[in-house]
Amino acid sequence: MPETKLYRSPTFCSAVSTPTSPLSIASAPAGTLWWRWGAVSLLVYRAPLLAACGLLAALLMSSLASLTLGSAGLDLLDALKAIFGIGEFMHVFVVQELRLPRLLAGMGTGAAFALAGCLMQTLAGNRLATPGIIGIDNGATAFAVASVVGLGASIAPPAMALSGAVVAMALAFGLSGGIGTRGYRFLVAGIGVGALFGAGTQLMLARVSIDVANNAYPWTVGSLNARDANSVIWLGIAMLIGLPLALWLGRGLNTLRFTDRVATGLGLPVARMRLMILWLSVVLTAAAVAVAGPVGMVALVGPEIARYLSRHKGVPLLASALAGALVMVLADLAGRTLLSPLEVPVGIVMAVVGSPYLLWILLRSPR
Amino acid sequence: MQADEMIPRSHVSAMSSSSAMPSSSAVPMADSAPATRKVTGRLALWKVMPLACAIALLTCLASLLWGAGQVGPMQALKALMGQGSEEARFVVYELRAPRTLIGIVVGMMLACGGALMQVVARNPLAEPGLLGVSAGASFAVAVALLLGIEAAGMHVIVAQSGALLGCLFVMSTVRVRGARQDPVRLVLAGAALSSLLVALTSLVLLIDQRAADEIRFWVVGSLAGRSLSALYHCLPSLLLAVVLTLWLARPLAALVLGEQVASGLGHRPERVRQITILVVALLVGAATALAGPVAFVGLAVPYVARALCGADIRRTLWLCLPLGVTMLLTADVISRLVVPPSELPLGVLTTLLGAPVLIAVVRARRLPTL
Repeated sequence: MPETKLYRSPTFCSAVSTPTSPLSIASAPAGTLWWRWGAVSLLVYRAPLLAACGLLAALLMSSLASLTLGSAGLDLLDALKAIFGIGEFMHVFVVQELRLPRLLAGMGTGAAFALAGCLMQTLAGNRLATPGIIGIDNGATAFAVASVVGLGASIAPPAMALSGAVVAMALAFGLSGGIGTRGYRFLVAGIGVGALFGAGTQLMLARVSIDVANNAYPWTVGSLNARDANSVIWLGIAMLIGLPLALWLGRGLNTLRFTDRVATGLGLPVARMRLMILWLSVVLTAAAVAVAGPVGMVALVGPEIARYLSRHKGVPLLASALAGALVMVLADLAGRTLLSPLEVPVGIVMAVVGSPYLLWILLRSPR
Repeated sequence: MQADEMIPRSHVSAMSSSSAMPSSSAVPMADSAPATRKVTGRLALWKVMPLACAIALLTCLASLLWGAGQVGPMQALKALMGQGSEEARFVVYELRAPRTLIGIVVGMMLACGGALMQVVARNPLAEPGLLGVSAGASFAVAVALLLGIEAAGMHVIVAQSGALLGCLFVMSTVRVRGARQDPVRLVLAGAALSSLLVALTSLVLLIDQRAADEIRFWVVGSLAGRSLSALYHCLPSLLLAVVLTLWLARPLAALVLGEQVASGLGHRPERVRQITILVVALLVGAATALAGPVAFVGLAVPYVARALCGADIRRTLWLCLPLGVTMLLTADVISRLVVPPSELPLGVLTTLLGAPVLIAVVRARRLPTL
């Protein structure tokens, strides 16, 4: 069964500590930057670094746009002043109470989704294996909705979302018999699991009164409108722990792209590594779903952009997170402003943008 | 077991006697999948069919007896006998009977549409709901409402053209990638297409509030509140589909043996495939216009039918009729009983019943190619 290969070049090594061989490299290889501080040296590919910087700049620009554009038009200067509480009361209110929290939530969820997607894709060796496609999003949503409509009484949505994500992951992996071993089969088993949980969500929404159902509705399509402050804090914590952890795991991830035997031979504890990556990906997805609902397409599009910009060197974790945040902020901005009095939920915007992209990945000629 | 013993014997006879022309020509037939399957103890159609029909009749009866309202099964039974209160008779004859009738038609159409699509795609996972064909139909209807098309009869045609477009798109992905060897890729492409179309549909509903009110309940898939006149609008296309299917059955059965065999037998594979896609669009489009997008019926029912009496499309289609009715009406009855005063969307229940079948098919060690 042909599998889509993640990367074109099998080049490996983004960070090398202590060159052990006495014949240490005289100068940095082409396309890299190399620093030495005594016994420690750092080798960084230039393309991913440039990509990350470019994405960061784009993210800042789009954040400013997101703060200024909207139903209440603000100047750039007004908006900047209002962040720090200077200026007219109305401006300060709009920026500090409405737009800034929304922007932060968008950045956080986008980064978490994309990072989780990048991890899962690398783990499964398949660029289509994002948490959204294998049903983890839907599992987390179903459990979070259960807590909102009062079935799971008094358990906070993030915790419920996490347990839902874990159950969905266990089902998807358990039913398909392992990770990546059966190529696309595992994805379709995941689609089945996702469909089951989606139906479960509908089932719960049908049982409750229309008001409660309306409360939970934004979650089912994916929207930044119904953020729960508590969930945002949990997402922040998950990102603060998850991003450094992911970057730390990044080096091992590069090795994991080889076959298991090679990776073991290079000294990587493959099984433990897999488990950690899986858990990290699931936790990040659950935290993001608890805030914004299932916007799983970010997990497909973000890493794809990052990979393209980084010229396919290594696993672009940082760039993925930044690209995910950028995509999410832009999608939310588009949803808020394009059809102006109407607000299109960010999940719908992402589905309209992301699905053709998914189709294109599936249809273009194999390399 | 019988087949395993038969094949070597015919091999032996072919090798031992050079004059055994008929038996040597029978060897490749015995090796090909349908021929062996026929021997390996699949049930004969005439044994299964009466039982399936009986079960389908029972679900029809259940659909008449149980409901979300006040009228219980005993009252409904009395009403069916011609006694009982005025109210019970009204509920049974005016509400439940049309609903059951529509459920019967929709179940048959969806099951047969799924079976036909699976033969054309040569893929046991090719299900109209899963591949975005129903999503295409509902998107077309949403756009038609947005543009202000009112006539109820138009909905059927619009839904059918939407289904045809979705069908053609998804089938062209099979063609482009030669994904025959990889049945699962088609499902992914279909999932992507259907998530795109569902998102576009909800965008349309967001823009046009009036259209949203009109089809909010239709878009989740339900049999509630459909009138018989909607069924009459479907009848012409349904008749056309039946005629075409009867004409297609033999060429399709030949197509299963392979393109070259089919053209050797005097069929034109390309033409047959195009007409089958048209029939699928007619069936699924009409079913979607009646009941909204209802997923997984077209996957689960043909799967069970094939498991019961073999992969021959002619027998599968016959068996799909009662089994489709059974599955759809069972889901419908459950949807009325779970939350008594109100009802569940039908699509939810068919998904709960059908998604495990999808997982079971994918889990099978060797994915069967049709």
